[in-house]
Amino acid sequence: MAGHYLDIAPVSEGAEVAAGGKRLHKVLVIREDCKQDIRVIAEGGSSTDITLVIMPGCSADISLDLDFTGEGAGARIAGLYICAGDERVKVSTTLRHRMPGCTSDQLFTGIAGGESRIAFAGTIIVAPDAQKTEAYQQSRNLLLSRDAKVDTEPQLEIYADDVKCSHGATVGSLNPDEQFYMRSRGIPEKEARILQMISFIAPVLEGLDDPAPMAAEIEKALRSSF
Amino acid sequence: MEKDILLKITGLHAGIEGKEILGGIDLEIRKGEIHAVMGPNGAGKSTLSAVLAGKPQYNVTAGSIEFLGRDLLAMSPEERAWAGIFLSFQYPIEIPGVSITAFMKAALNAKRKALGEEEMKSADFLKLMKEKMAFVKMRPEFSKREVNVGFSGGEKKRNEIFQMAMLDPVLSILDETDSGLDVDALKIVADGVNSLRSPEKSSIIITHYQKLLEYVVPDVVHVLKAGKIVRTGGREIIDIIETQGFDSF
Repeated sequence: MAGHYLDIAPVSEGAEVAAGGKRLHKVLVIREDCKQDIRVIAEGGSSTDITLVIMPGCSADISLDLDFTGEGAGARIAGLYICAGDERVKVSTTLRHRMPGCTSDQLFTGIAGGESRIAFAGTIIVAPDAQKTEAYQQSRNLLLSRDAKVDTEPQLEIYADDVKCSHGATVGSLNPDEQFYMRSRGIPEKEARILQMISFIAPVLEGLDDPAPMAAEIEKALRSSF
Repeated sequence: MEKDILLKITGLHAGIEGKEILGGIDLEIRKGEIHAVMGPNGAGKSTLSAVLAGKPQYNVTAGSIEFLGRDLLAMSPEERAWAGIFLSFQYPIEIPGVSITAFMKAALNAKRKALGEEEMKSADFLKLMKEKMAFVKMRPEFSKREVNVGFSGGEKKRNEIFQMAMLDPVLSILDETDSGLDVDALKIVADGVNSLRSPEKSSIIITHYQKLLEYVVPDVVHVLKAGKIVRTGGREIIDIIETQGFDSF
């Protein structure tokens, strides 16, 4: 009765394993065009923390596949992508909660300017046995130009009844009231926009052990791209 | 004497989304003066402050505003700030992800850059922050807080006065800064305005209560009603409003 995603066994070939009691910490920074598949097997009691950063100017097709194969594991997955020109960014995640008591928290933020295209697809599957699952997914996007496009598709397949799951997707523009407030203090319009973008992507970097260097690289990229 | 005039509003018509709210305002503020603009809800008080600060959503359909001899309406909001205009917001805006320190640093350095000055040294900046925060009784840890995020009403207003003290404006406009404040917070706001008083600087205090005006004594009082200034005078007007309300104008 479960969806086809659960009919197949977890693919272990080429997968990284988050072992029980251990933390799998991955930071993936994309600085050139690429296609990558990331597979993770999260064993019981493990913790996984993945941060994905796609820099402006990079077209990328990233898929992330995570299977919870033991009880009581947790995963935090966060990503940000900044597109200012004609980038094509596609990010797909599939999280399979096969076992009870696992928690997943996903946050993706995208900034789409120029004529760029961003597509996010996030699938969460909770197996019939995976009671006490907590699974959250947020996809927040800023659309900065009329010619850019953002598609965000959350998909939840829940086959257990005692679970907490939520997803949310937003596509918005820079808040004009914030902009006026900053400008009224003498912050130039362009700088106000940069500050707003920095504040928009900031929550994604919270998972890094030392977010400062990454934040500085992103700020520099934002300033030269917008 | 023309050179004493800081702000001169002539025949100002303005509104938002095609609806006229200000129907011909004339107002002259000399250097060193404190003006109170009082009026009932919906009179156009906040529109006047928004137009002075350059809020893009508002349209000026007729009239002119001169600030220190410059055409204010031709200036962007940030240019107005650099020239010395400060608006204390009635509803201060939350800016998640931006700390008060980063915010003030960006604001102060942008102004210095525009005036052809060098960026402020970090140590000097932090010293100034500390001094001005103490002045408005903001706890030091607020410097790391995100701008207005999770602040109480009183904390937001104190943060406005803190920013005003940091930016040291020539013309400060307080848009209902007193609303919803207890007496202690009101005194902090009043101290802020009074401390900026100098023969070169002026303030516009927009309010519909007389309470703040007990602590900041205005030189001139205007009554704004239905988009027009219907009366201009001295402090005696405050007493008329207190006893008879706005209906008598």
